[in-house]
Amino acid sequence: MKYLGKKIITLIMTLFLVSAAAFLAFQIIPGDVVTSILGTEATPEREQQLREELGLDNPPIVRYFNWVAGVLKGDLGVSYRYSKNMNEMMPVAELIGDKLPVTLWLAAAAFVLIALISIPLGVFWAKCASVPKRGSACLSGFLDAALGVATQAAMAVPSFFLGILVTFLFGIVLRLFAPGGYVGYKEDFWSFLGYLLFPALSIAIPKIAMTARFLRNSMLTELRADYVRTAYSKGCTGRRVLYGHVLRNAMMPVVTFLGMIVAEVVAGSIVIEQVFGLPGIGRLLISSISTRDFPVVEILILYITFVVIFVYFIVDILYRVIDPRVSEK
Amino acid sequence: MIRIENLSVAFGRTEVVKHVSLDLRDGEILGVVGESGSGKSVTALTLMGLVSDSARMTSGRILFDDVVLREAGKPLDRALYRSYQGAKMSMVFQEPQTSLNPTQRVGRQVEEVLRLHGTLTKEERKKKVLETFLAVGLKDAERVYASYPHQLSGGMRQRAMIAMAVILHPRLIVADEPTTALDVTIQNQIMALLRGINQKQNNAMLFITHDLNLARRICHRVAVMKDGHVVELGTAEEIFERPGEEYTRRLVEAVPSRMKRISDAESDRKTGSESPVLEVRGLSVYYQEGGNSLFSAQRKRRAVEGADFAVYPGESLGLVGESGCGKTSLSKAILGMNRRIEGEIIHHSVRPQMVFQDPYSSLNPAKTIGWLLQEPLRAAGALDRSLAMTKGDMEAAAYDMLRRVGMGEEYFHRRPSELSGGQRQRISIGQALISGPGFLIADEPVSALDVTIQAQIMELMRRLQREMNLACLFISHDINVVYKMCDRIMIMKDGRIIEIGKTEEVFENPREEYTKLLLKEG
Amino acid sequence: MKQAGGTKWNKYFVAGLLMTGLAVLLGILGMFWTPYSTTAMSAAEKFSPPSLRHFFGTDNFGRDIFSRVMQGLGTTVAISSLVVLFSGGIGILLGALTGYFGGLLDEAVMRVTDAVNGFPSILLTLVIISILGSGRQNVILSLGIVFVPSYVRIVRGEFIRLRDADYISRARLMGVGRLRILFVHILPNIFSVFWVSVMIGFNNAILAESGMSYLGIGVQAPDASLGNMLSDAQGYLQSAPWYALAPGLTIVWLVLGFSLFGEGVRRRSGVS
Repeated sequence: MKYLGKKIITLIMTLFLVSAAAFLAFQIIPGDVVTSILGTEATPEREQQLREELGLDNPPIVRYFNWVAGVLKGDLGVSYRYSKNMNEMMPVAELIGDKLPVTLWLAAAAFVLIALISIPLGVFWAKCASVPKRGSACLSGFLDAALGVATQAAMAVPSFFLGILVTFLFGIVLRLFAPGGYVGYKEDFWSFLGYLLFPALSIAIPKIAMTARFLRNSMLTELRADYVRTAYSKGCTGRRVLYGHVLRNAMMPVVTFLGMIVAEVVAGSIVIEQVFGLPGIGRLLISSISTRDFPVVEILILYITFVVIFVYFIVDILYRVIDPRVSEK
Repeated sequence: MIRIENLSVAFGRTEVVKHVSLDLRDGEILGVVGESGSGKSVTALTLMGLVSDSARMTSGRILFDDVVLREAGKPLDRALYRSYQGAKMSMVFQEPQTSLNPTQRVGRQVEEVLRLHGTLTKEERKKKVLETFLAVGLKDAERVYASYPHQLSGGMRQRAMIAMAVILHPRLIVADEPTTALDVTIQNQIMALLRGINQKQNNAMLFITHDLNLARRICHRVAVMKDGHVVELGTAEEIFERPGEEYTRRLVEAVPSRMKRISDAESDRKTGSESPVLEVRGLSVYYQEGGNSLFSAQRKRRAVEGADFAVYPGESLGLVGESGCGKTSLSKAILGMNRRIEGEIIHHSVRPQMVFQDPYSSLNPAKTIGWLLQEPLRAAGALDRSLAMTKGDMEAAAYDMLRRVGMGEEYFHRRPSELSGGQRQRISIGQALISGPGFLIADEPVSALDVTIQAQIMELMRRLQREMNLACLFISHDINVVYKMCDRIMIMKDGRIIEIGKTEEVFENPREEYTKLLLKEG
Repeated sequence: MKQAGGTKWNKYFVAGLLMTGLAVLLGILGMFWTPYSTTAMSAAEKFSPPSLRHFFGTDNFGRDIFSRVMQGLGTTVAISSLVVLFSGGIGILLGALTGYFGGLLDEAVMRVTDAVNGFPSILLTLVIISILGSGRQNVILSLGIVFVPSYVRIVRGEFIRLRDADYISRARLMGVGRLRILFVHILPNIFSVFWVSVMIGFNNAILAESGMSYLGIGVQAPDASLGNMLSDAQGYLQSAPWYALAPGLTIVWLVLGFSLFGEGVRRRSGVS
């Protein structure tokens, strides 16, 4: 419990630091926001008015704390770029609103695919690889090598190109889905998930290859451990040794690995949204960066950081549950 | 009851076990003794059906009560073997640390034997495991049952391994160096336990060890193995008192026993009349616990308490103690590698050097032997311009040292990876001595080596000590090695030096109980 | 260790060397010379499929895709080399100092490194790019900064491991100076590990650069880059699939080459 408390404090501290870094980083950028919103031909009065409206006449530290206070109250600030109409500015919250769930669902779907496919694949692969390459064991030797080549290749494909390949193959050639099509999650959740399948697959495939490789190697390492010999000396069958003793030990580093992948998956969804034209925060983030719409960028970065750190937190707790050695220290 | 007939085992093209025939009767303890690489472990693993898949049985067969367990040319019948493994034959391994599954409770791992063989209910199984724990001397059986391996000490883990091996009263127990990884006092308890089990259950035991003293104490018969062959087989008495083969004789003689001492000739050197090279006064050494995190408080723990001694030119002072007694902390403090100390350390020699236990990590793998031997000279030259030597002089000195540690010139351009453990230790010694220090600390310099190599290295160190009038602090857990090497001896326990004196005096009239215990076990 | 001779020219090493060698040579050549001009448009040859005249076909403006791929390859190779040089160089220096000496600097560097490592690298690059603006130099700078921590971590780990090795303790006892211990005694022992991470670094740099260019915040037109081409080609997937395949497969080729190369180097030196 004490550990949990410590972890939560660290989590909050990290968020605080990242938010400060993200906010302050955008304050040092040259160029006047007001000029970029109003153009060079606005009157000084109008400029001053906007400045006050945005709170820009305060020093950065004050602005930062105002911003944090706002975020905590649910006021995420206003976009510099978009506006509701001539007189009203666009709140960031409204802009992000229904885009965030799309990205989170996409990342979650990809992660589930990774976990569901890579673990059985890795175990199967390790079984093939651990059979001595001699006599009748030809097939497993071949499978071992084939999986080696396939995963090596899969890891070399960048996710956006994979997305294009998937679009071409499943969308254009096989016509399993309509490229560019999309159903909102509010309208029909299941077809929404259906549209997420192929993008999620594009994110997942390279990571599946990585994780399966990692698990295979981890299992082969564990299979050489002394306790495996002890298990055989008790009269265990190979199957019992594999599932009863080796798998759990081999999964320890894989859990950490899967945790580390989360950050990559979230980043991957941002890119993949571009490929499949999904209305997630990825496109918003890219366009906000190109148009230097910093309030939006700041909030998005804060969001993504929160998600990533939160997942790390969960993985850390999970790791303590499954590995008796860690909780001792 | 067990017969190994004409067994040969090969890995790829190289045979590591060659035409070995052994037999074992109920209640008998057969020792298999040999240096590393002699094929003793592979023989045992083949007998147990545990040798890796890359090994091939090229001749012979293994019989258990006239049942052929395995025969050359026929595939291994795994199902048959499984019915024997754990039930009729079981094994105790060398490393209790790694031989237990780290993520499974110890009780469950022992219980698995019962689950695999037999039809006991869950409650009966647990009861039997607890009984067996008590029988092997694990008094807190319930706690051990629910513990993970890392929560137990090395000795307790080995007891749990033994419980696992004996729970079904197997006819045969194979013990592969079961005490090598343990401390001397624990070693003795484990040996007594194994012996007791052997007498009570009347099972046959195949006892594999590199330690001849151990074999002599526990075994009825002993087989000596070398390069895959059994070179001699006989009763323990025959082997040790009247060895028939040249190799056996060498092996027996190489054991540091109290019969012969290298330092005999000059054992009566006068200590105290000369001024010492090292004085240690009231030295306490601390180390920090709890890491450097912001959250955990730092605690100081005392590793050495109030050490007082001096080392004189040309003598070797032995330091004996079990692991964790503070001997390494003491040596590190003397060499200034740990500065959290109280008390005084006064060096009267220039730049004392150290030789470490592990020959594989004491030489920089990226450099050649010649480079390594010259580096101390270069360093000395960089620190003190007056000591700077020309390139040619340094090279000559390195060649000279190579010769003095008994190695040929051809090694000058080789790298450490091309050398054997004993050769590396020679180079380490040479590197330590090339700059002519007056004082050397040798921390278990021969513990990682085979006995015959051990004897050669000790011989070499003694000779160089004489030639260079070198003072040496010789650290070892093996009281016999110290006896052979040292003029004076210090016994250390729990951070304190409890006894110090001339080697003969300590051996003949030990004052402390602990010293007597160490002597009895050695 | 004994089979070192046999693994010296292992198949991973040879395959990786050939694949990266070919790609890098084409890329370097592409910086100075291409079979066709990369900007010359030709309405007549719009969307012609791969042929002997145009190995990879032509694009929507009738430009030769092979020439543009060569040029893009040059851009990618140049950028990733500079990124690896930048981040690897700083990584070695920081990793060596923090790993060997520890202390406050180590603590500070590790905190930052941990934070950056846990963060999706592409996101961090995006932030830096949004501050600096896009373009060639800024891509190099931002990726260089982002990849420093991974090298620091590896080099630091190795220095910590070797700092307490017996042979280093002995070097200290001999009175060898600190800098000499760092760079003469320890550094040669970490090269094998370092080269493997350089190969991985190349891969990450290639993937990141092409990804950024694909998203339109990396190398800007009219400079050809593989990522740019992919994003242009995506619109013509139905009519001219080769337009997308050419740059895409080139990236795969390059990355695969580097990972095989890295694996080969790893096996060669026995790093695990």
